Amino acid sequence: MEIIMAVLAGILFTTGVYNLLQKQLLRIIIGTGLISHGAHLFILTMGELKTGAPPVLTEGIENYTDPLPQALILTSIVISFGVTSLLLVLAYRAAKVNGTDNMEQLRGNDYE
Amino acid sequence: MSNLAVLPILMPLIAGILVAFIHKKTTLVRNISKGLAIINLVIVGLVFMQVRDQGSIVLEMGSWEAPFGIVLVGDLLAMTLVLTTNIIAVACVFFAPQSLSEKEESYYFYSFFFLLISGVSGAFLTGDLFNLFVFFEVLLMASYGLIVLGNGKAQLRESIKYVLINLFSSMLFVTTIAFLYSVVGTVNMAQAAQRVQEVEQQGILTTIAILFFFVFATKAAVFPLYYWLPRPYISPNPVVSALFGALLTKVGIYSILRTFSLIFNHEVGLTHTLFIYLAAFTMIFGVVGAISTNNIKLIVAYNIIPAVGFMLMGIGIFTEVSISGTVYYLVHDMVIKGVLFLLVGATAYVAGTSDLRKMGGLIHHYPVLGWLLFIASLVLAGIPPFSGFMGKLQLLRGGLGEEEIFIVIIGLVSSLLILFSMIRIFIRGFWGEKMDIPIPERKKTGNLMVLPAAGLLTVSVLLGVGAEWFFPTIESISQYLMDPEIYIDSVIKE
Amino acid sequence: MLVAVLLPFIIAIFIPFLSKWKDKVHTGFFVTIVPVLVFIYFVRFLGTGFEPVIHEYSWIPSLDINMVFHLDGLSLLFVLLISGIGSLVAFYSIFYLHKSEQLGHFYVYFLIFMGSMLGVVLSDNVFALYSFWEFTSLSSFLLIGFWNYKKESRYGALKSMLITVFGGLSLLGALIFMSILTNTTSIQGMIDQQQLILNSEFFPLILILLLLGAFTKSAQFPFHIWLPDAMEAPTPVSAYLHSATMVKAGIYLVARYSPMLSANEWFFIIVSLAGIVTLCWGSYMAVRQIDLKGILAFSTISQLGMIMAMLGFGTKVAIFGAVFHILNHATFKGSLFMIAGIVDHEAGTRDIRKLGGLMTFMPMTATLAIIASFSMAGLPLPFLNGFYSKEMFFESSLHLEAASTGFAGFLQASIPYLAVFGSIFTFVYSMYFFFGTFRGKSHLEELPKKPHEAPIGMLISPIILVAGVIIIGLFPSLINEPFIAHAAESVKGAVLEEKHIYFWHGFIPPFIMSITVVVFGSILALSRKVWAPVYRFVPGVLSMNKVYDGTVDRMERYSKNITKGYMNGSLGRYVRLILAAIIVISFAFMAITGGFTIDTSNVAEITTPEILVAIMMVIAAVGTAITNNRIAAILILGVVGYGLSMLFVLYRAPDLALTQLIVETVTVALFLLVFYHLPKLRKKEEPVSTKILNLVISVGFGVLMTMVAISSHSSKFFDSISEYFVDNSYKLGGGDNIVNVILVDFRGLDTLFEIVVLGIAAMAIFGLIRLRKNKEEE
Repeated sequence: MEIIMAVLAGILFTTGVYNLLQKQLLRIIIGTGLISHGAHLFILTMGELKTGAPPVLTEGIENYTDPLPQALILTSIVISFGVTSLLLVLAYRAAKVNGTDNMEQLRGNDYE
Repeated sequence: MSNLAVLPILMPLIAGILVAFIHKKTTLVRNISKGLAIINLVIVGLVFMQVRDQGSIVLEMGSWEAPFGIVLVGDLLAMTLVLTTNIIAVACVFFAPQSLSEKEESYYFYSFFFLLISGVSGAFLTGDLFNLFVFFEVLLMASYGLIVLGNGKAQLRESIKYVLINLFSSMLFVTTIAFLYSVVGTVNMAQAAQRVQEVEQQGILTTIAILFFFVFATKAAVFPLYYWLPRPYISPNPVVSALFGALLTKVGIYSILRTFSLIFNHEVGLTHTLFIYLAAFTMIFGVVGAISTNNIKLIVAYNIIPAVGFMLMGIGIFTEVSISGTVYYLVHDMVIKGVLFLLVGATAYVAGTSDLRKMGGLIHHYPVLGWLLFIASLVLAGIPPFSGFMGKLQLLRGGLGEEEIFIVIIGLVSSLLILFSMIRIFIRGFWGEKMDIPIPERKKTGNLMVLPAAGLLTVSVLLGVGAEWFFPTIESISQYLMDPEIYIDSVIKE
Repeated sequence: MLVAVLLPFIIAIFIPFLSKWKDKVHTGFFVTIVPVLVFIYFVRFLGTGFEPVIHEYSWIPSLDINMVFHLDGLSLLFVLLISGIGSLVAFYSIFYLHKSEQLGHFYVYFLIFMGSMLGVVLSDNVFALYSFWEFTSLSSFLLIGFWNYKKESRYGALKSMLITVFGGLSLLGALIFMSILTNTTSIQGMIDQQQLILNSEFFPLILILLLLGAFTKSAQFPFHIWLPDAMEAPTPVSAYLHSATMVKAGIYLVARYSPMLSANEWFFIIVSLAGIVTLCWGSYMAVRQIDLKGILAFSTISQLGMIMAMLGFGTKVAIFGAVFHILNHATFKGSLFMIAGIVDHEAGTRDIRKLGGLMTFMPMTATLAIIASFSMAGLPLPFLNGFYSKEMFFESSLHLEAASTGFAGFLQASIPYLAVFGSIFTFVYSMYFFFGTFRGKSHLEELPKKPHEAPIGMLISPIILVAGVIIIGLFPSLINEPFIAHAAESVKGAVLEEKHIYFWHGFIPPFIMSITVVVFGSILALSRKVWAPVYRFVPGVLSMNKVYDGTVDRMERYSKNITKGYMNGSLGRYVRLILAAIIVISFAFMAITGGFTIDTSNVAEITTPEILVAIMMVIAAVGTAITNNRIAAILILGVVGYGLSMLFVLYRAPDLALTQLIVETVTVALFLLVFYHLPKLRKKEEPVSTKILNLVISVGFGVLMTMVAISSHSSKFFDSISEYFVDNSYKLGGGDNIVNVILVDFRGLDTLFEIVVLGIAAMAIFGLIRLRKNKEEE
C-alpha cells in the first residue's frame, strides 16, 4: 500500500509541477496546492501505514499508527494554509495592479 | 542558565508582537524598535560571550530530553551568526525611518522586521530539522510581508515569483524531512547524524542528502537555482533589500554548512565534489550577471551570488582551513551585503534613479556616501586588509592545499570581476563633471541614511583589520564543525 | 621601522583637517616633511658595512599575516628611491598644483601610495606584501582619476586598476601556493626552502602566476597598455608612481624572487624575452607619440623592459646593471617628467607638434632636459649615468650563462641584436623629446600660453635629480660600494667580487654596440620625417589597446547577452531550469550510490477503499491540468483535498482528517473569492514542444520523488522515536491524544511558531489589502 501511496503522491507532485509550469496564475497556484497535498501524503506514507489504532491512547491497545508524522503534517497543513492565503491575495493584487494574470507578461523588462 | 539559548528567538518575537499592537503610532514604534533592537543586540552579545567562554548551550525545549523534544543548540557557530544578524538589524532599524514612508512603517514593517530576525535566529539555533522548517517558514513569511510592503507594481510582480519559488522549495523541504525520518526514524539533527554515521550514509541517504542540498541551495542561490534571486531582492525598499541580502541567502548557506558537516559527511567524494563544481559555476554566472547590468541595485544583488559560490567552495573542499574560510566569509558577507544594499539604496534615493547611465558626479554632493561605497567595494572584492580578503585567503589556502587549482583560479578571476562590477558604480556614478544636485530636497535624508551604513561598514573594516580578534573564534568553530562528535555528544547524552 | 612605514598613513588621516588652512599654506609643505623624515631615517643605514635588518611586529598571527620588515640592500635601494624621489615630487607638486585643486584628496592618495610602496619593498611576509601591493594599485587608480571630470582620466584609471589588480590576484595565487608548499609566509623562508617549490609539479603555474603579477605592475609587454593612459594623472604622479617607483614594484618582485626562480631555465626564457620585447616595443612606440608624457610613458616601458631583461639574464654583470639602472632611471626619468610638467605648465600644452624652440624661453629647463635626455639615450659621455648601466646591459647581453640549446639558445643568440635594435630607438626618442621641444622653430601662436621660465621652486626638484645624474656619472664608485653593491648582492644571493665601474673599457664589443646605437640613432632621428608614415601605420591592428578595449567591451556585451538569455523574468523558465537541475543531479546521485531499493516485505496490505480514493484523486489531479474552466479547476482541486482527508481517515489520523477538511473548505472558498476577480482560464496557446518539455519535467520530478519515497520506506534502518511519544504521552504529557500532546507539548515550539506564521500572514494580507485602499483614496 505504501508503494501505491508513494505513486499517488508522486502523481500529485507531477500534476502540481505541470500546473506550476503554466502561464496563468490560477493554474500556478492550483499547482502549489497539489504539491502540498502530495507532500503531506508523502509524510504520512513515511510513517508506518500499517493500520494500527489511531494515535489516541485507549486501554488494551498496544499498536498505534506513528503519531509523529501526523503531528508534522498538522503543522505543515496550517503553515501551507497561511502561505496559500497570502499567495491568493498577492496574486489577486498583482494581477489587478499589473493588469494581467499571465506570468509571461509579468516578466518585467525594465531591468537592465 | 541554558535558557539563554532561547532569548535570541524570544526577544524579537515579543518585540514583533508588541510593536504590532501599536503599529499606528509611527514615531513611538520607531523609537521602541530602535531601543528593542539595541537591547536585543546587547543580550545576544552577552549570550555570545557566554558561549565563547564556556561552550555550547543546549536547551531542551519544555525539558523534553533530546532527541524527542526540540532542542536549541547555541553553539559558537550559531551564536556568531545570531550576533552578526543582530548587528545588521540595528543598522537597518536606524536606516528604516529615512527610507520608508510613514505609511509603510505603520503597516507592520517593524513587526515583520523583528519576526524575520526571530525566524533567522531560530534557524541558526535549532537542532531539529522539522523545527528548522518551521523557522524557515517564519522567516519566509516575514520576508513575504516585507517584500510586498508598499504594493508597487513591479514589487508585486516580483513578489509573486519570490513566494512561489520559496513555497515550492518549502514543500520539497518538508517532504525530504519525511524521507529522512523514514530512514533514520528521527528529526533531531544530532541523532540523525549519529544514525547516518552508523549506517555509513548507505543506500538512499546520499540522494536524500542531495535533496536537502537543493532545498537549501535554492534559498542560498547556488547555481543553477539562483535565477529567482536578483530581481525580487531589489524590488522592495532598500532596507528590506539589505535585510534580505544580508540574512536570507546566508541562512541557506548556514544550513548547507550545518547539514553537510554534521549529518551527511560520509560521501564527501561525491557530494562535496559536486559543491565545488557548482561553486565554480555560481561564481562565474554571478559575476557575469553583475557586469551585465547598469542598475546599481541589481549589481549588488547579483554580487550576492559569487559570494555564495565562495562559501560553497569552502564547504566543498571541506578541510579545517577551508571551513574556517567559509565561516569567516559568511560573517563578512552578511555585514558587507547589508552595507552595500543600504549604500546603493541611499545612492539611488539621492540620485533619483538606480540607472548608472543617468548618474554622474555625485561625489561633489555626497562625498561621504561615495567614499563609503568605494571602501565597501574594496571590502567586497576582497582587497586586503579588509574582511573579504581574510575569508578568501583561507578559502584559497584550503583550495590550493587540496590542489583544487581550477576553482582557485576561478575564485581569483571572479574577485577581479567583482571589483570591476562595483567600481563601475563609483566611476560612473560618483566621478565625473560636477553637475547640479539631482534632487536637492533629498540631501538631508540622504545624509542621514549614510550614518547606519557607515556604522555597519566600520564593523566590516574592523572584521578585516582586526582579524586577530575574531579569527581564533572562527578557527575554533571550524575545528568544531569538522568534528561532529562534539555536537552529537552535547545534544544526546547517553 | 613600523613607524616609518605607517607614518604616511597616519599623516594621511590628518590631511583632510589640514586642508582647511590650504588658502594660507599649501598642503604640500606639510606633506613634503613626511618623505624627508622617512629618507633621513633610512639613509642612516647606508654604508659599506651594511647588514640586513629585520624588524617584526605581529598583526594577525593566527592567519600568519604579520608585519615583518626585512631591510636588505635591495629594499634599501627602493626605500631610498621612494622616500627620496617622494620628497622631491612632493615639493615639486607644491608649485605644480594650484591651491584651488582638491589638494586634500591628492595628498591623501599620495601618502597612502608612499606608505604602501614602502610596505611592498620592506615586507618579508608575503600577505602583508600583497596587501601593500594592492594598495599601490588602488592609490594609483585614485591618482590617475584625480581629474575625474575628464573622460580620459576615468578610462585610464579603470584600465590601470583592472590590469594591475588582475596581476595582483595572480600574484596572490602564486604567494599562497608557495606558502603552502613551504609552510611559511616569509619570503626569505621560501627562498631557503626553494627546493620544495622548484621541485613541485606546480612550479610552472607558480612561475607564471608570479610573473603575471610582476609584468602587469611593471608594464611589460603585452600588459604595458595601462601605463600610457595613466599619464592622465597629474605630472608629479607620473614622475613618482609611473616612472620612479610603483612600476618598479614588479621589477622588485622579480629581483626579490630571482635567487630562487633563476634556477629554472624557463625563468630566463620568459623574463628575458618579455623584457627584451618590451624594450623594443616600448622604444619603438615612444617614437610615434606626439604627447610629451606619451613619449616618456613608452620610454619608461622600454626602460623597464631593459631592467627586466637584465634580471632575466641573471649573470653578475646583468644583476649589477639592473640594480644600477633602477637608480639611474629614477634620476633621469623623474627629472624628464618634471620637465614635461614644467613645459605643460608654462606653455599650456604637451603636444610636441605645437612645441619647439622653447630653449630661448626656458633656458634653465632646456639645460636640464638636455642632460637628462642624453643620459637616457645612453650617450657615451663620462658625466651621464645612463651610459654606464646601458653599457652593462650590452655587456651582459653578450655573456649569457644560460643553456645554448633549444629555444633558450636561440633567444640567447638573438638578444644582443634586439638589445641594439631597442637602444637605437631609445636614442631616437630621447633626441626627439629634447629637440622637438626645445629646438627647432617655435610656434608661439599655437601655444595656449606664452611660454616663460618656470618659477625656481618648480625647478629645484629636477635640478637635484639632474645633479644626481651628473654626480653618479662622474663618480660611479661613490654610490657603488655603500649602496648598489649591497642591492646587487641581495639579488644574486652571493657576495659579488668587487666591481668597479669604469667609463672606459677600450674598444670592446659593448662599446662598439653603443657607438652603433649612436650612429644609427642619429641617422634615424635626423630623417624622422622620412619614417613618419611607417610610424603611423605600424602597429595599427597589433595594438594591445584594442585587445583591452575589445575585452572590456565584449565582457559587458556578452555578459549582458548571457544574463538576458536566462534571466528573462519568466517564472516558468526559472522553475523549468531549477527542476531540470534537481532531477538530473538527483537521479545521477541515486544511480551512482545505488540508492534505489524496493522492499515489499514490510508494507500494509492493499485495500479497496484506499484504491478507490486514490483513483479518484488521480483523476481529479489530472483534471486540474486539463480543464479550462476556472470554477471547475478550483473545485477539482478541492476534490483532491477531500480525497486526502479521506485517506487520513483511512490511515487512522482523525485530527488530520478534520483539519484538512476545514482547511480545504476555507481554501476553496478563498480561491473562489479571489478568482472571481481574475480573468478566465484561456486555452493554452503554447507550442507542443513546450508542452512536452513541461510534461517531461513534471513526470521526471514525480518519478524522482516516488522513487526516493519508496527507497526511503524500504530502508528503515532504525526504530522511530515515536515509541517514546506513545509511551510517555499520558505518563508525562498528561494527554490521551498522542498527536495533540506532541503538538502542544513535545514539539510545542513548532506550534508556537506555526501560529506566528499565521499571524504574519494575516498582517501581510491586511497590508496588501489596506495599503491599496489608502492609495485609492488619495
